[in-house]
Amino acid sequence: MRRLVILVLLYFVMQGVFRLGSASAGAPTLMLFGFLILAAYSVGEFVASFGLPKIVGYMAAGVLFGPPGLSYVSTQVLQELNPVSNLAIALIAFLAGAELQIAEIKLRGVGILKMMSLELVLCFVGVAATMALLHGQLPFLENAPTREIFAFSLLFAAVAIVHSPAATIALLSETRANGPVARYTLGVVLVMDVAVVLIFSAVLTAARALVPPSGGGGGVQVGTVAWEIGGALLVGAAIGACVALYLRFISRELFIFAIFVALLGAEIARQLHVETLLTLLVAGFVAENAAGGLRGEEFRHAMERAAAPIFVVFFALSGARIDPASVLPLLAIVIPVVLVRIVAMWGGTRIGGRWAKLEPVVANNSWYGLVSQAGVAFGLAAVVADVYPERGEELRELLLAMIAINQTIGPILFRIGLKRSGELRHADTDASALPQSPVPVRSAAHG
Amino acid sequence: MSAPLLLILIAALAFLATHVAYEWLARRLLIVSGAEYLVLGVLLGPQVTGLFSPSAMDAFDPIVILGIGWMGIAAGMPLRLQRLVRIPSVTYRLSLVESLLTFALVTVGALSALSYGFQISQADALLPALALGAIAVASTPAGLDVAYGESRRSAPVLRQIEVAHGMDGLICVLTFGILMSWAHEAVPLMTRALTLTEWVAVTLGIGVVGGALFHLFLGNERSSDRLFISLGGAVVLTSGAAAYLQLSPALAALVMGVVLVNSLRQPGPVYEVLRAGERPLYYMLLILAGASWSPDSNVVWWLVIIHYLVLRTLAKLWGTGIATWVNRAQHEVGLDWGRALIGQGRLTIALALDYSRRDLPYGDVVFTCSAVSVLFTEFFAARFVRSAAAPLLAPLEQLSATTEAVVESVTETMTHRLPGLLKGDRDHDTEGRH
Repeated sequence: MRRLVILVLLYFVMQGVFRLGSASAGAPTLMLFGFLILAAYSVGEFVASFGLPKIVGYMAAGVLFGPPGLSYVSTQVLQELNPVSNLAIALIAFLAGAELQIAEIKLRGVGILKMMSLELVLCFVGVAATMALLHGQLPFLENAPTREIFAFSLLFAAVAIVHSPAATIALLSETRANGPVARYTLGVVLVMDVAVVLIFSAVLTAARALVPPSGGGGGVQVGTVAWEIGGALLVGAAIGACVALYLRFISRELFIFAIFVALLGAEIARQLHVETLLTLLVAGFVAENAAGGLRGEEFRHAMERAAAPIFVVFFALSGARIDPASVLPLLAIVIPVVLVRIVAMWGGTRIGGRWAKLEPVVANNSWYGLVSQAGVAFGLAAVVADVYPERGEELRELLLAMIAINQTIGPILFRIGLKRSGELRHADTDASALPQSPVPVRSAAHG
Repeated sequence: MSAPLLLILIAALAFLATHVAYEWLARRLLIVSGAEYLVLGVLLGPQVTGLFSPSAMDAFDPIVILGIGWMGIAAGMPLRLQRLVRIPSVTYRLSLVESLLTFALVTVGALSALSYGFQISQADALLPALALGAIAVASTPAGLDVAYGESRRSAPVLRQIEVAHGMDGLICVLTFGILMSWAHEAVPLMTRALTLTEWVAVTLGIGVVGGALFHLFLGNERSSDRLFISLGGAVVLTSGAAAYLQLSPALAALVMGVVLVNSLRQPGPVYEVLRAGERPLYYMLLILAGASWSPDSNVVWWLVIIHYLVLRTLAKLWGTGIATWVNRAQHEVGLDWGRALIGQGRLTIALALDYSRRDLPYGDVVFTCSAVSVLFTEFFAARFVRSAAAPLLAPLEQLSATTEAVVESVTETMTHRLPGLLKGDRDHDTEGRH
């Protein structure tokens, strides 16, 4: 509470600074960025006292001070802070890859694949069917021919199946949960992140065949998709190998090296036109497993140290991009879709978990962690709008509304799931023993 | 493979090679590592590969401002009054005289060199000359850390060097901050434009208000991760506010640091967090400094640079010598402790970048002087410190060795002559070992 009072004071001090600024004043980006960090941090700590995940607070601060709220952080400032968001996504992807270990994949791989595949199918079919049924409520699909309804429903479903590695990693870091539910959820989210690129590309190709975009631009070729995925695997593996060599033979200045790897990896992926997230995910996986032992562990700690403030910034900026005003008119169609998506996840993971003969606690509680959506979903929504400039823009609005809801309720549900499975309690005990470690310790993954 | 990607890889390899080489040199020759990042920046910048385009450099401006602010707060954190009052006044006197002499000598020298070399009036040369004078005062404490670590800091000569580094930091940031307020564009606000004094007060005010609010904000926080986030946010906000008003981020952050360190009951954790962020940010500043460096082949430039280097070195060497001799302190600290102040580092780069990123006259010249000085003096900063302090520490070391030998001899004699007396102690020792 004290921090919130100081935040209000800071707000007024900054108003004074703005009054002193004149035509010759520089850009206020950095000052507002600092304010956003402190605001997000304070609101995060505040909501944590009510048992809510901190990232919900970070996003709430973004909504409050961003363009949809007080508009303190303007759209232009948000654009100027885009490199920070990109760095955050790159770091989170690398960190997510580094969280996966070969031993863990051997141990849990089959279970993860079974849960993921069923959840994926149910979610995709369920959301696409719901969209097709509710098309009459959407102005741009109201009088559209069946094939267009079909194409746009599939596109919508292809974005709806996306999860959020960032939210998952952030919440696991925050809670230090490391039990089977946490590990299976992380596994499903990461594997799905790879699968979704393939599925979305395939669906987009099919949609283009059914409904050719005006002007024919923004298309996706099979070869391009193959390179995006295959190239990402190759490039990611190469980067990971280089990182592993560095860790083995030099292993200095790990903090700055972590940031350097994230920047370099993202730039290489951009230059070679391969999927950035997948590249860094693979790079993190290879680096961690090839370097192994203490060095890999040290590097992961350095990355996590760099990522701690990055989570605050990333979710605050994500929150600032949510516009509650644009969500409200679409609630009638978005809420059914969100509910169907959740039910599909619930059913998919339960059936998948039983099929894989997992413990009931895993099968019953893993779905909670799959609801969140963030960066990847935003990106895919933008691709849809790019390919179909007219109707795609309306579809994008709809997608953003759904993402906004999932982004808000997802972390809360994940925390509830961890609590129900008893992993939050253990995490709290571990946290009190190791107050400085922000890391979901991996030892439990082996046993 | 595309050309930019190839260049990234070349630059990365060059960085690794230079880093490894410097590590090797540092271990064997007592060299302070860091300048390899400046070299990397030059490789990435428009002068060599062009990987960092001018527009890309603009995008990095917030990081530069954050780095400048971080160096400022790091310079303010050692200024805890509780600790400072225990130091004899003569130590401050010597340090202050040395700082002011360096400022005066380099300013006058740069004024004449700039006005003569570039054929401009002294009024036009005044601002860059003052900036060079302020930057010349800065000296890097990295040499002292590498040469002696935290040991023997109570020795008079090392204490003198440590205080002089702190004083140099304070004077250069303060002078530079006032200079930026002076250079502030006079734009009417409401009824009239603010005066120099008012802009200085605004800069100090940002720091004081920032320090006071963040003192309350941090509270009794001890977790290093939470401190890192809140302190990072505080420095970003304070530096950003100063930069927004076209004032000095370093001075605002320094004042904030002074307020924080004197108001917190236990500033240790905050200090640790600041130190943890200092090196990475310094390296980033060096990379960006190297990338934004655009030297000129004009011979006048190099005359000014040589002028700066020579005058600064002379000021540090002679200024300290004269001040020490006048104060009759040569027995405690010697006449050569000024050598330990020749090395320049993080503050120099931060302030030089701050000057050059603004649209101020001769920004490239000021920046080149500072970068060249860092390039040539930071490597040897630890050796400079050693050469200044070793002659004075040698008798102390000898005395310490003699004392140890005497204590050992007396203990041995006592053990032989009075075996029963020391038996109890030996038993205790044995138990302790077990």
